[in-house]
Amino acid sequence: MRSSLLLSFLQTHSLPPLTQPTIVTVAILYFTVVAAIGTWATRRTRTARDFFVAGRGVGVVPLTLATMAATLSGFAFIGGPGLMYSLGLGALFIILPAATTNAMSAWVLAKRLRLLGEVRSLITVPDAIGVRFNSPAAQGLAGLSIVIAVIGYMATNILALGLVIDAIFGVGLGWGIWIGMTVTLAYSVSGGITAGVYTDVFQGTLMAIASVLVFVYAIEVGGGGEMTRSIVAADPAFLSPWGKISPLAALSFFFVFGMGALAQPHVVHKFYMLKDPLRLKWYPLLSSIALMVTLLLFFGVGTATKALVVQGKLAPLTRPDDATPIFLLQFTPLLLSAIVFAGVAAAIMSTVNSFMNVAAAALTHDIPSWVNRRVRDELLWGRISTVAISIVAAVVAQASGALVAFLGIFGWGLFASTLVPSLAVGLNWKGATKHGAVASITVGLMSTLILETLGYFKAFTLPSGVTVSGLSLVLSLLTFIGISAITKQAGPDADVAMIMEI
Amino acid sequence: MAALTCAAIAIAAAYASAFLPGGATVISSVLMIIGIATMAVALMILGAIREGTRARPIGFALSFLFAVLVLGFGIPLFFSSRDIWLGLPAATAIIVYGVGILPVFVLPLVYAWTFDDRTLSGEDIERIRELTRNHADKSSE
Repeated sequence: MRSSLLLSFLQTHSLPPLTQPTIVTVAILYFTVVAAIGTWATRRTRTARDFFVAGRGVGVVPLTLATMAATLSGFAFIGGPGLMYSLGLGALFIILPAATTNAMSAWVLAKRLRLLGEVRSLITVPDAIGVRFNSPAAQGLAGLSIVIAVIGYMATNILALGLVIDAIFGVGLGWGIWIGMTVTLAYSVSGGITAGVYTDVFQGTLMAIASVLVFVYAIEVGGGGEMTRSIVAADPAFLSPWGKISPLAALSFFFVFGMGALAQPHVVHKFYMLKDPLRLKWYPLLSSIALMVTLLLFFGVGTATKALVVQGKLAPLTRPDDATPIFLLQFTPLLLSAIVFAGVAAAIMSTVNSFMNVAAAALTHDIPSWVNRRVRDELLWGRISTVAISIVAAVVAQASGALVAFLGIFGWGLFASTLVPSLAVGLNWKGATKHGAVASITVGLMSTLILETLGYFKAFTLPSGVTVSGLSLVLSLLTFIGISAITKQAGPDADVAMIMEI
Repeated sequence: MAALTCAAIAIAAAYASAFLPGGATVISSVLMIIGIATMAVALMILGAIREGTRARPIGFALSFLFAVLVLGFGIPLFFSSRDIWLGLPAATAIIVYGVGILPVFVLPLVYAWTFDDRTLSGEDIERIRELTRNHADKSSE
């Protein structure tokens, strides 16, 4: 149950064929707009600062849309509704923290990361850990964790993009992977994160509009209030408070996805890019609205599809991941379906672009710092690293099957267990030490890798309700607090201390 | 930090209890709920409360969040009803509308309302710009 549940986070099965003129035309238009934004952004990318932090010149509205687009991968549009269809309300615990996490990340991280970025010219998330603890080892380890997590996470997203492109254009999965990767790589390598942010603005807007329209259709087609009554009569567990999973499993989702939101490097890294830190005032409000609006599709399609099945208007799904494509093709106008499928590609590409950027930064900036090296031309090497990481991820994606699924499973959890303590707690607690940071990152990395590997090969299974990511996160937090309490380190540098007090 | 430590211990205890014969019980879920609510609020207090400033509006918002999380998850654990509230079974509605929506009407607004006085002011920005200039001078030396 556990592994099948985790595998359902990943889009690894082919979608129903979507090769219809309207869908193909909208997809081509979408890719054309993305290419145009990439070309425009390339002209604005002249330095490593432009490439990695968009020259610290992004407004709060683009920042909001870019963080939302980077947070939500194709899972929010395809895997999520499918998971909702099979687990009922239990799946909702993945997105339930959205009402809280934006304010939490603003209070805990946004201001301090933005100010540290300005004072110390930081360009990566591990940079902040490095200057907070005066520890290249902590910075390098954090960078290594990011690279490990990103390769798997990116491979699963590129595979999903390949599946979407194959479904739309009928080119085959292999070509789908390489076409999707090439388009994303083209604007990422030339325009860096500047291209990423402004394509994210377009992609995020598209995702939000598509989600709202589909939600309205879902409620309409599902029968409004009748939807609930028909589901409760046929399958009462579906709409019970914890859905078809145990309360502990549901709460574990909330814990990992709530706290883990504080340490997704491809998302929190964007705080460095904000032009005016005083505009952070509106970030939680705008980002909460954007995120919740875009997640309406997750809830609406998952529930409406279930209602249509129990009402006999739709045959039971053989694969839960078909919930969105089948609902769109059978119950919404073709143009709306086309916009949503472009939205799925948008969601995946925006996440992949952000991953490319943070992994390239970790390779060219953080890991060399660990061994006291500094790359001379970070812009050039950033571009080379972006290409290298993308090729590795695409090759892994093409290897397909179980390996990709395995690598993708622990991405989110690995970010959470390695970065939450030293970043979210470390930037707010002066008693934290570099020993605590290094130990917690190591414990998070090792426990996630070991437990996921043992679980994958069925050598060890955790009890029902306990997830590797949740367990690793809490072990890492306790290690951080415990080791910091028994070790000593002079406080942070004066400027860092001042920012921690603001 | 004491609250954050207790929260982490509560969550670890919730997971540990699942390893006992018979697996996770309602006590595991109660520990998890208390741990999650305490950890979220403790982290936000660490990040939001500045020395020498009044904590009241933010303190109110975070107390509200603690209550929403504990009651929003706790009530459905012990209470069930066949009533439909706003289109969902009552216990489910408490989670979806309580935990999933209610905080949006409080936390971001309190954040914006208290931002200038408690989070970041123009004066703070001036201090930061001074620090940045000092760093630039040191680097050029």
